[in-house]
Amino acid sequence: MAPQTTPDAVGLNLALALVTSSAAPLLLLDSDLNIIAASGSFCSAFQINIAQTKGLPLADMGAGEWKVAQLASLLKATAAGYAAIDGYEMDLVREGRPVRRLVLNAQKLQYAEGAEIRIALSVSDVTDARIAAKLKDDLLRDKEVLLQELHHRVANSLQIIASVLLQSARKVQSEEIRTHLHDAHHRVMSVAALQQQLAVSKLGNVELRPYFKALCASIGASMIRDHNQISLDVTSDDSVTTADTSVSLGLIVTELVINALKHAFPGDRSGRILVDYRSRGPNWTLSVGDDGMGMPEDPRSAKAGLGTSIVQALAMQLGGQITVADANPGTKVSVVHTYVPILAGQSAAGSAV
Amino acid sequence: MEKRVILLVEDEALIRLATTALLEDAGYSVIEAGNADVAIRILESRSDIGAVFTDIIMPGSVDGLRLSHAIRDRWPPVHLLVTSGLSVPIENFPRKARFLRKPYTPVQVLKALSDLFGFDPEPYQYRNNVTQNYGRVAYR
Repeated sequence: MAPQTTPDAVGLNLALALVTSSAAPLLLLDSDLNIIAASGSFCSAFQINIAQTKGLPLADMGAGEWKVAQLASLLKATAAGYAAIDGYEMDLVREGRPVRRLVLNAQKLQYAEGAEIRIALSVSDVTDARIAAKLKDDLLRDKEVLLQELHHRVANSLQIIASVLLQSARKVQSEEIRTHLHDAHHRVMSVAALQQQLAVSKLGNVELRPYFKALCASIGASMIRDHNQISLDVTSDDSVTTADTSVSLGLIVTELVINALKHAFPGDRSGRILVDYRSRGPNWTLSVGDDGMGMPEDPRSAKAGLGTSIVQALAMQLGGQITVADANPGTKVSVVHTYVPILAGQSAAGSAV
Repeated sequence: MEKRVILLVEDEALIRLATTALLEDAGYSVIEAGNADVAIRILESRSDIGAVFTDIIMPGSVDGLRLSHAIRDRWPPVHLLVTSGLSVPIENFPRKARFLRKPYTPVQVLKALSDLFGFDPEPYQYRNNVTQNYGRVAYR
Protein backbone atom coordinates (compact mmCIF):
# COMPACT_ATOMS: atom_id res chain seq x y z
CA MET A 1 0.00 0.00 0.00
CA ALA A 2 1.36 3.43 -0.90
CA PRO A 3 2.64 5.45 2.07
CA GLN A 4 0.04 7.89 3.21
CA THR A 5 1.80 11.23 3.04
CA THR A 6 -0.96 13.52 1.88
CA PRO A 7 -1.72 16.32 4.35
CA ASP A 8 -5.09 14.77 5.14
CA ALA A 9 -3.55 11.39 5.76
CA VAL A 10 -0.82 12.84 7.94
CA GLY A 11 -3.37 14.85 9.92
CA LEU A 12 -5.55 11.80 10.45
CA ASN A 13 -2.63 9.62 11.47
CA LEU A 14 -1.50 12.27 13.96
CA ALA A 15 -4.97 12.39 15.49
CA LEU A 16 -5.17 8.61 15.72
CA ALA A 17 -1.70 8.45 17.22
CA LEU A 18 -2.71 11.05 19.80
CA VAL A 19 -5.71 8.99 20.79
CA THR A 20 -3.81 5.72 20.87
CA SER A 21 -1.00 7.14 22.98
CA SER A 22 -3.19 9.01 25.46
CA ALA A 23 -2.20 8.31 29.03
CA ALA A 24 -5.81 8.72 30.14
CA PRO A 25 -8.21 6.07 28.82
CA LEU A 26 -9.69 7.58 25.66
CA LEU A 27 -12.02 6.48 22.85
CA LEU A 28 -12.70 8.19 19.57
CA LEU A 29 -16.24 7.40 18.38
CA ASP A 30 -18.30 8.19 15.31
CA SER A 31 -21.92 9.31 15.31
CA ASP A 32 -23.13 5.68 15.40
CA LEU A 33 -21.01 5.10 18.51
CA ASN A 34 -18.56 2.84 16.69
CA ILE A 35 -14.98 2.95 17.88
CA ILE A 36 -12.60 4.65 15.50
CA ALA A 37 -9.63 4.50 17.86
CA ALA A 38 -8.97 3.41 21.41
CA SER A 39 -6.02 4.38 23.59
CA GLY A 40 -3.64 1.70 24.80
CA SER A 41 -4.39 2.90 28.29
CA PHE A 42 -8.11 2.24 27.79
CA CYS A 43 -7.49 -1.27 26.55
CA SER A 44 -5.17 -2.23 29.37
CA ALA A 45 -7.35 -0.60 32.01
CA PHE A 46 -10.47 -2.45 30.87
CA GLN A 47 -8.98 -5.62 29.41
CA ILE A 48 -9.98 -4.94 25.83
CA ASN A 49 -8.06 -6.36 22.87
CA ILE A 50 -6.86 -3.27 21.00
CA ALA A 51 -6.62 -5.14 17.74
CA GLN A 52 -10.33 -5.82 17.79
CA THR A 53 -11.53 -2.30 18.60
CA LYS A 54 -11.44 -0.62 15.20
CA GLY A 55 -14.92 -0.25 13.79
CA LEU A 56 -16.44 -2.09 16.75
CA PRO A 57 -19.67 -0.69 18.20
CA LEU A 58 -19.13 0.55 21.75
CA ALA A 59 -21.95 -1.68 22.94
CA ASP A 60 -20.20 -4.79 21.59
CA MET A 61 -16.92 -4.13 23.34
CA GLY A 62 -15.72 -6.73 25.84
CA ALA A 63 -18.59 -8.96 26.92
CA GLY A 64 -21.20 -6.25 26.47
CA GLU A 65 -20.44 -4.43 29.74
CA TRP A 66 -20.31 -1.13 27.80
CA LYS A 67 -23.82 -1.65 26.51
CA VAL A 68 -25.45 0.78 28.92
CA ALA A 69 -28.66 2.39 27.72
CA GLN A 70 -28.17 5.66 29.52
CA LEU A 71 -24.60 6.00 28.27
CA ALA A 72 -25.72 5.33 24.72
CA SER A 73 -28.45 7.95 24.85
CA LEU A 74 -26.06 10.49 26.40
CA LEU A 75 -23.52 9.81 23.65
CA LYS A 76 -26.20 10.15 20.99
CA ALA A 77 -27.20 13.48 22.44
CA THR A 78 -23.55 14.51 22.42
CA ALA A 79 -23.21 13.48 18.80
CA ALA A 80 -26.28 15.52 17.90
CA GLY A 81 -24.73 18.52 19.55
CA TYR A 82 -27.31 18.87 22.33
CA ALA A 83 -24.97 18.25 25.20
CA ALA A 84 -21.60 17.10 26.42
CA ILE A 85 -21.07 14.38 29.01
CA ASP A 86 -19.55 15.95 32.08
CA GLY A 87 -18.67 13.66 34.96
CA TYR A 88 -21.21 10.94 34.24
CA GLU A 89 -20.74 8.14 36.74
CA MET A 90 -21.48 4.50 36.11
CA ASP A 91 -20.53 1.10 37.39
CA LEU A 92 -18.70 -1.21 35.03
CA VAL A 93 -20.08 -4.66 35.75
CA ARG A 94 -18.20 -7.64 34.38
CA GLU A 95 -18.58 -11.28 35.24
CA GLY A 96 -15.84 -12.62 37.47
CA ARG A 97 -14.39 -9.17 38.11
CA PRO A 98 -15.04 -6.62 40.87
CA VAL A 99 -17.27 -3.73 39.94
CA ARG A 100 -15.36 -0.57 38.97
CA ARG A 101 -16.72 2.93 39.46
CA LEU A 102 -16.18 5.07 36.36
CA VAL A 103 -16.42 8.77 35.63
CA LEU A 104 -16.98 9.57 31.94
CA ASN A 105 -16.51 12.76 29.95
CA ALA A 106 -17.40 13.12 26.32
CA GLN A 107 -17.70 15.90 23.80
CA LYS A 108 -18.32 16.32 20.13
CA LEU A 109 -15.08 17.39 18.50
CA GLN A 110 -15.12 20.63 16.53
CA TYR A 111 -12.40 20.17 13.98
CA ALA A 112 -13.52 20.87 10.43
CA GLU A 113 -16.60 22.37 8.81
CA GLY A 114 -18.97 19.73 7.43
CA ALA A 115 -16.69 16.91 8.52
CA GLU A 116 -17.75 13.60 10.01
CA ILE A 117 -19.01 13.71 13.54
CA ARG A 118 -16.43 12.57 16.03
CA ILE A 119 -16.83 12.12 19.79
CA ALA A 120 -13.98 11.97 22.25
CA LEU A 121 -14.91 9.84 25.27
CA SER A 122 -12.52 9.78 28.22
CA VAL A 123 -12.96 7.35 31.09
CA SER A 124 -11.55 7.61 34.63
CA ASP A 125 -11.59 4.65 36.97
CA VAL A 126 -12.23 6.22 40.38
CA THR A 127 -12.89 3.00 42.29
CA ASP A 128 -9.73 3.13 44.39
CA ALA A 129 -9.99 6.88 45.01
CA ARG A 130 -13.56 6.45 46.23
CA ILE A 131 -12.61 3.63 48.58
CA ALA A 132 -9.79 5.74 50.01
CA ALA A 133 -12.12 8.71 50.47
CA LYS A 134 -14.70 6.58 52.26
CA LEU A 135 -12.03 5.07 54.47
CA LYS A 136 -10.82 8.55 55.38
CA ASP A 137 -14.38 9.62 56.22
CA ASP A 138 -14.88 6.53 58.36
CA LEU A 139 -11.62 7.14 60.20
CA LEU A 140 -12.48 10.79 60.82
CA ARG A 141 -15.86 9.78 62.16
CA ASP A 142 -14.27 7.13 64.40
CA LYS A 143 -11.83 9.73 65.67
CA GLU A 144 -14.70 12.10 66.47
CA VAL A 145 -16.50 9.36 68.36
CA LEU A 146 -13.39 8.47 70.33
CA LEU A 147 -12.79 12.11 71.17
CA GLN A 148 -16.35 12.49 72.40
CA GLU A 149 -15.95 9.37 74.50
CA LEU A 150 -12.76 10.76 75.95
CA HIS A 151 -14.41 14.04 76.89
CA HIS A 152 -17.23 12.13 78.49
CA ARG A 153 -14.85 9.94 80.44
CA VAL A 154 -12.86 12.93 81.71
CA ALA A 155 -16.02 14.79 82.75
CA ASN A 156 -17.22 11.72 84.61
CA SER A 157 -13.87 11.26 86.32
CA LEU A 158 -13.82 14.86 87.48
CA GLN A 159 -17.38 14.48 88.75
CA ILE A 160 -16.33 11.42 90.73
CA ILE A 161 -13.44 13.27 92.34
CA ALA A 162 -15.66 16.25 93.13
CA SER A 163 -18.26 13.90 94.61
CA VAL A 164 -15.72 12.19 96.82
CA LEU A 165 -14.55 15.54 98.18
CA LEU A 166 -18.07 16.70 98.95
CA GLN A 167 -18.92 13.42 100.61
CA SER A 168 -15.83 13.74 102.79
CA ALA A 169 -16.82 17.29 103.67
CA ARG A 170 -20.20 16.05 104.85
CA LYS A 171 -18.65 13.51 107.16
CA VAL A 172 -16.00 15.55 108.97
CA GLN A 173 -16.75 17.36 112.22
CA SER A 174 -13.99 19.94 111.98
CA GLU A 175 -14.95 23.26 110.41
CA GLU A 176 -11.37 23.84 109.27
CA ILE A 177 -11.11 20.50 107.50
CA ARG A 178 -14.49 20.99 105.91
CA THR A 179 -13.29 24.34 104.55
CA HIS A 180 -10.21 22.69 103.10
CA LEU A 181 -12.36 20.05 101.42
CA HIS A 182 -14.67 22.67 99.94
CA ASP A 183 -11.64 24.58 98.66
CA ALA A 184 -10.34 21.38 97.11
CA HIS A 185 -13.74 20.92 95.50
CA HIS A 186 -13.45 24.41 93.96
CA ARG A 187 -10.03 23.60 92.59
CA VAL A 188 -11.33 20.43 90.96
CA MET A 189 -14.22 22.37 89.46
CA SER A 190 -11.73 24.88 88.06
CA VAL A 191 -10.08 22.05 86.12
CA ALA A 192 -13.53 20.83 85.13
CA ALA A 193 -14.49 24.25 83.75
CA LEU A 194 -11.39 24.09 81.58
CA GLN A 195 -12.39 20.65 80.33
CA GLN A 196 -15.72 22.01 79.24
CA GLN A 197 -14.06 24.85 77.34
CA LEU A 198 -11.75 22.37 75.62
CA ALA A 199 -14.63 20.13 74.68
CA VAL A 200 -16.16 22.91 72.62
CA SER A 201 -13.00 24.45 71.21
CA LYS A 202 -11.83 22.97 67.93
CA LEU A 203 -8.11 23.38 68.20
CA GLY A 204 -7.39 22.69 71.86
CA ASN A 205 -6.90 26.37 72.61
CA VAL A 206 -8.90 28.14 75.27
CA GLU A 207 -10.53 31.56 75.15
CA LEU A 208 -9.68 32.96 78.55
CA ARG A 209 -12.56 35.38 79.04
CA PRO A 210 -15.39 32.82 78.79
CA TYR A 211 -13.32 30.36 80.80
CA PHE A 212 -12.74 32.84 83.64
CA LYS A 213 -16.39 33.90 83.52
CA ALA A 214 -17.54 30.28 83.86
CA LEU A 215 -15.07 29.74 86.67
CA CYS A 216 -16.19 32.82 88.59
CA ALA A 217 -19.85 32.00 88.05
CA SER A 218 -19.26 28.60 89.61
CA ILE A 219 -17.31 29.93 92.60
CA GLY A 220 -19.73 32.82 93.09
CA ALA A 221 -22.79 30.58 92.94
CA SER A 222 -21.62 28.47 95.82
CA MET A 223 -19.83 31.07 97.92
CA ILE A 224 -21.74 34.35 97.52
CA ARG A 225 -25.19 34.63 99.04
CA ASP A 226 -26.13 38.12 97.90
CA HIS A 227 -24.70 39.07 94.52
CA ASN A 228 -25.81 42.67 95.06
CA GLN A 229 -23.58 42.80 98.07
CA ILE A 230 -20.49 41.10 96.70
CA SER A 231 -19.93 41.12 92.96
CA LEU A 232 -17.39 39.04 91.10
CA ASP A 233 -16.56 40.29 87.62
CA VAL A 234 -14.22 39.40 84.79
CA THR A 235 -12.63 42.03 82.57
CA SER A 236 -10.27 40.07 80.36
CA ASP A 237 -9.32 40.77 76.78
CA ASP A 238 -9.71 38.38 73.85
CA SER A 239 -6.61 36.36 74.64
CA VAL A 240 -6.50 32.72 73.68
CA THR A 241 -3.95 30.35 75.23
CA THR A 242 -3.06 26.69 75.31
CA ALA A 243 -4.83 24.23 77.57
CA ASP A 244 -1.81 23.85 79.82
CA THR A 245 -1.48 27.58 80.43
CA SER A 246 -5.23 27.93 80.97
CA VAL A 247 -5.29 25.23 83.62
CA SER A 248 -2.61 27.02 85.61
CA LEU A 249 -4.20 30.46 85.16
CA GLY A 250 -7.59 29.03 86.16
CA LEU A 251 -6.19 27.49 89.32
CA ILE A 252 -4.50 30.80 90.24
CA VAL A 253 -7.76 32.67 89.68
CA THR A 254 -9.62 30.12 91.84
CA GLU A 255 -7.16 30.58 94.69
CA LEU A 256 -7.09 34.37 94.60
CA VAL A 257 -10.87 34.70 94.28
CA ILE A 258 -11.57 32.31 97.15
CA ASN A 259 -9.01 34.17 99.21
CA ALA A 260 -10.65 37.51 98.53
CA LEU A 261 -14.08 36.08 99.33
CA LYS A 262 -12.85 34.74 102.64
CA HIS A 263 -10.85 37.72 103.86
CA ALA A 264 -11.73 40.93 102.08
CA PHE A 265 -15.32 41.40 103.20
CA PRO A 266 -15.83 40.51 106.86
CA GLY A 267 -19.25 40.94 108.43
CA ASP A 268 -21.65 42.65 106.10
CA ARG A 269 -19.10 44.60 104.17
CA SER A 270 -19.99 44.87 100.51
CA GLY A 271 -17.63 45.16 97.59
CA ARG A 272 -16.33 44.01 94.30
CA ILE A 273 -13.79 41.47 93.11
CA LEU A 274 -12.32 41.94 89.66
CA VAL A 275 -10.50 39.31 87.62
CA ASP A 276 -8.49 40.82 84.80
CA TYR A 277 -6.20 39.38 82.14
CA ARG A 278 -4.50 41.17 79.32
CA SER A 279 -1.74 40.20 76.98
CA ARG A 280 0.41 41.89 74.41
CA GLY A 281 2.59 39.65 72.30
CA PRO A 282 4.27 37.24 74.70
CA ASN A 283 3.68 39.45 77.74
CA TRP A 284 0.65 39.04 79.95
CA THR A 285 -0.70 40.14 83.30
CA LEU A 286 -3.29 38.35 85.40
CA SER A 287 -4.74 40.22 88.35
CA VAL A 288 -7.38 39.65 90.97
CA GLY A 289 -8.28 42.77 92.91
CA ASP A 290 -10.82 43.64 95.56
CA ASP A 291 -11.98 46.87 97.21
CA GLY A 292 -12.31 45.31 100.62
CA MET A 293 -10.39 45.17 103.83
CA GLY A 294 -6.88 45.40 102.53
CA MET A 295 -3.77 43.64 103.77
CA PRO A 296 -3.25 43.07 107.49
CA GLU A 297 -0.96 45.58 109.24
CA ASP A 298 1.64 42.99 110.06
CA PRO A 299 2.42 40.88 107.01
CA ARG A 300 3.76 38.13 109.22
CA SER A 301 0.33 37.65 110.71
CA ALA A 302 -1.00 36.55 107.34
CA LYS A 303 -0.37 32.84 107.35
CA ALA A 304 0.86 31.38 104.12
CA GLY A 305 -1.68 28.67 103.45
CA LEU A 306 -1.95 26.03 100.77
CA GLY A 307 -3.49 28.59 98.47
CA THR A 308 -0.40 30.75 98.60
CA SER A 309 1.86 27.81 97.80
CA ILE A 310 -0.33 26.89 94.87
CA VAL A 311 -0.24 30.41 93.48
CA GLN A 312 3.52 30.66 93.93
CA ALA A 313 4.18 27.28 92.33
CA LEU A 314 1.94 27.96 89.36
CA ALA A 315 3.25 31.49 88.86
CA MET A 316 6.77 30.13 88.74
CA GLN A 317 5.74 27.44 86.29
CA LEU A 318 4.22 30.11 84.06
CA GLY A 319 7.32 32.29 84.35
CA GLY A 320 5.44 35.03 86.14
CA GLN A 321 6.20 37.39 88.99
CA ILE A 322 3.71 37.84 91.82
CA THR A 323 3.10 41.33 93.10
CA VAL A 324 0.76 42.27 95.92
CA ALA A 325 -0.31 45.89 95.98
CA ASP A 326 -2.38 47.99 98.28
CA ALA A 327 -5.38 49.16 96.27
CA ASN A 328 -6.69 51.72 98.79
CA PRO A 329 -9.14 50.37 99.48
CA GLY A 330 -8.49 46.72 99.09
CA THR A 331 -5.80 44.55 97.63
CA LYS A 332 -4.65 43.63 94.16
CA VAL A 333 -2.61 40.52 93.48
CA SER A 334 -0.99 40.35 90.06
CA VAL A 335 0.98 37.74 88.19
CA VAL A 336 3.07 39.42 85.52
CA HIS A 337 4.84 37.59 82.71
CA THR A 338 7.34 39.60 80.76
CA TYR A 339 9.20 37.83 78.04
CA VAL A 340 12.88 38.63 77.87
CA PRO A 341 14.34 37.75 74.46
CA ILE A 342 17.43 35.62 74.52
CA LEU A 343 20.57 37.67 74.05
CA ALA A 344 24.06 36.29 74.25
CA GLY A 345 24.93 35.33 77.82
CA GLN A 346 21.45 36.04 79.20
CA SER A 347 18.78 33.58 80.28
CA ALA A 348 15.39 33.63 78.60
CA ALA A 349 11.79 33.88 79.79
CA GLY A 350 9.84 35.28 82.61
CA SER A 351 11.11 37.32 85.39
CA ALA A 352 11.81 40.89 84.42
CA VAL A 353 10.93 43.56 86.91
CA MET B 1 -45.36 19.10 103.39
CA GLU B 2 -44.35 15.69 102.11
CA LYS B 3 -40.89 15.42 100.70
CA ARG B 4 -40.61 15.59 96.94
CA VAL B 5 -39.26 12.35 95.50
CA ILE B 6 -36.41 12.34 92.99
CA LEU B 7 -35.47 9.29 90.95
CA LEU B 8 -31.70 9.44 90.40
CA VAL B 9 -30.46 7.42 87.41
CA GLU B 10 -26.65 7.26 87.32
CA ASP B 11 -24.29 4.33 86.75
CA GLU B 12 -21.17 5.73 88.50
CA ALA B 13 -21.55 4.66 92.13
CA LEU B 14 -19.52 7.48 93.67
CA ILE B 15 -21.39 10.17 91.76
CA ARG B 16 -24.67 8.53 92.73
CA LEU B 17 -23.63 8.45 96.38
CA ALA B 18 -22.64 12.12 96.57
CA THR B 19 -25.60 13.33 94.53
CA THR B 20 -28.04 11.35 96.69
CA ALA B 21 -26.47 12.90 99.77
CA LEU B 22 -26.70 16.43 98.44
CA LEU B 23 -30.33 15.96 97.40
CA GLU B 24 -31.28 14.47 100.75
CA ASP B 25 -29.51 17.30 102.56
CA ALA B 26 -31.62 19.70 100.56
CA GLY B 27 -34.80 17.98 101.74
CA TYR B 28 -35.62 15.66 98.87
CA SER B 29 -36.32 11.96 99.14
CA VAL B 30 -34.13 10.01 96.70
CA ILE B 31 -34.66 6.69 94.91
CA GLU B 32 -31.57 5.38 93.10
CA ALA B 33 -31.29 3.46 89.85
CA GLY B 34 -28.12 2.30 88.11
CA ASN B 35 -29.53 2.23 84.59
CA ALA B 36 -32.59 3.07 82.51
CA ASP B 37 -34.18 -0.39 82.72
CA VAL B 38 -34.23 -0.25 86.51
CA ALA B 39 -35.53 3.32 86.32
CA ILE B 40 -38.48 2.28 84.18
CA ARG B 41 -39.33 -0.57 86.55
CA ILE B 42 -39.28 1.85 89.47
CA LEU B 43 -41.53 4.32 87.67
CA GLU B 44 -43.93 1.50 86.87
CA SER B 45 -44.07 0.40 90.48
CA ARG B 46 -44.78 3.72 92.21
CA SER B 47 -46.61 6.93 91.45
CA ASP B 48 -44.92 9.46 93.71
CA ILE B 49 -41.83 10.30 91.66
CA GLY B 50 -41.73 14.06 91.20
CA ALA B 51 -38.64 14.32 89.04
CA VAL B 52 -36.10 12.11 87.28
CA PHE B 53 -32.44 13.19 87.27
CA THR B 54 -30.66 11.01 84.75
CA ASP B 55 -27.26 10.61 83.16
CA ILE B 56 -27.25 9.98 79.41
CA ILE B 57 -24.53 7.41 78.86
CA MET B 58 -25.25 4.31 80.90
CA PRO B 59 -24.98 0.55 80.44
CA GLY B 60 -28.07 -1.24 79.29
CA SER B 61 -30.26 -1.11 76.25
CA VAL B 62 -31.63 2.39 76.71
CA ASP B 63 -29.60 5.56 77.16
CA GLY B 64 -30.71 8.46 79.33
CA LEU B 65 -31.95 10.52 76.42
CA ARG B 66 -34.27 7.78 75.20
CA LEU B 67 -35.29 7.22 78.79
CA SER B 68 -36.26 10.87 79.14
CA HIS B 69 -38.38 10.67 75.98
CA ALA B 70 -40.04 7.51 77.25
CA ILE B 71 -40.81 9.19 80.58
CA ARG B 72 -42.26 12.27 78.87
CA ASP B 73 -44.54 9.93 76.89
CA ARG B 74 -45.73 7.68 79.68
CA TRP B 75 -45.56 9.91 82.76
CA PRO B 76 -46.03 13.48 81.50
CA PRO B 77 -46.11 15.29 84.85
CA VAL B 78 -42.70 13.99 85.94
CA HIS B 79 -39.99 16.67 85.72
CA LEU B 80 -36.88 15.83 83.73
CA LEU B 81 -33.28 16.82 84.46
CA VAL B 82 -30.67 15.28 82.18
CA THR B 83 -26.91 15.37 82.61
CA SER B 84 -23.88 14.35 80.57
CA GLY B 85 -20.19 14.99 80.13
CA LEU B 86 -20.93 15.95 76.54
CA SER B 87 -23.06 18.73 75.20
CA VAL B 88 -26.21 17.54 73.54
CA PRO B 89 -28.05 19.48 70.84
CA ILE B 90 -31.16 21.03 72.32
CA GLU B 91 -33.50 19.52 69.72
CA ASN B 92 -32.71 16.05 71.06
CA PHE B 93 -34.50 16.73 74.33
CA PRO B 94 -38.16 16.21 75.18
CA ARG B 95 -40.22 19.28 76.00
CA LYS B 96 -39.40 21.14 79.21
CA ALA B 97 -36.46 18.93 80.07
CA ARG B 98 -33.45 20.68 81.59
CA PHE B 99 -29.83 19.83 80.82
CA LEU B 100 -26.80 20.05 83.11
CA ARG B 101 -23.21 19.56 81.92
CA LYS B 102 -20.99 17.31 83.99
CA PRO B 103 -19.31 17.88 86.30
CA TYR B 104 -22.09 19.81 87.97
CA THR B 105 -21.93 21.61 91.28
CA PRO B 106 -24.47 21.06 94.07
CA VAL B 107 -25.77 24.58 93.56
CA GLN B 108 -26.46 23.91 89.89
CA VAL B 109 -28.43 20.75 90.62
CA LEU B 110 -30.50 22.33 93.37
CA LYS B 111 -31.23 25.41 91.29
CA ALA B 112 -32.30 23.31 88.28
CA LEU B 113 -34.60 21.19 90.43
CA SER B 114 -36.17 24.13 92.20
CA ASP B 115 -36.74 25.77 88.78
CA LEU B 116 -38.42 22.60 87.51
CA PHE B 117 -40.59 22.26 90.59
CA GLY B 118 -41.36 25.95 90.46
CA PHE B 119 -40.30 27.11 93.88
CA ASP B 120 -37.57 29.36 95.22
CA PRO B 121 -34.70 27.38 96.68
CA GLU B 122 -34.38 27.38 100.44
CA PRO B 123 -31.96 30.07 101.56
CA TYR B 124 -28.62 28.66 102.55
CA GLN B 125 -27.05 29.13 105.93
CA TYR B 126 -24.29 31.66 105.88
CA ARG B 127 -21.45 33.02 107.81
CA ASN B 128 -20.09 36.50 106.91
CA ASN B 129 -22.12 36.57 103.71
CA VAL B 130 -19.78 33.96 102.37
CA THR B 131 -21.49 30.59 102.29
CA GLN B 132 -19.60 27.77 103.83
CA ASN B 133 -22.41 25.32 103.31
CA TYR B 134 -24.35 23.69 100.55
CA GLY B 135 -28.00 22.90 100.99
CA ARG B 136 -30.29 23.54 103.88
CA VAL B 137 -28.61 21.64 106.64
CA ALA B 138 -25.65 23.26 108.35
CA TYR B 139 -22.69 20.98 108.49
CA ARG B 140 -22.08 20.00 112.06
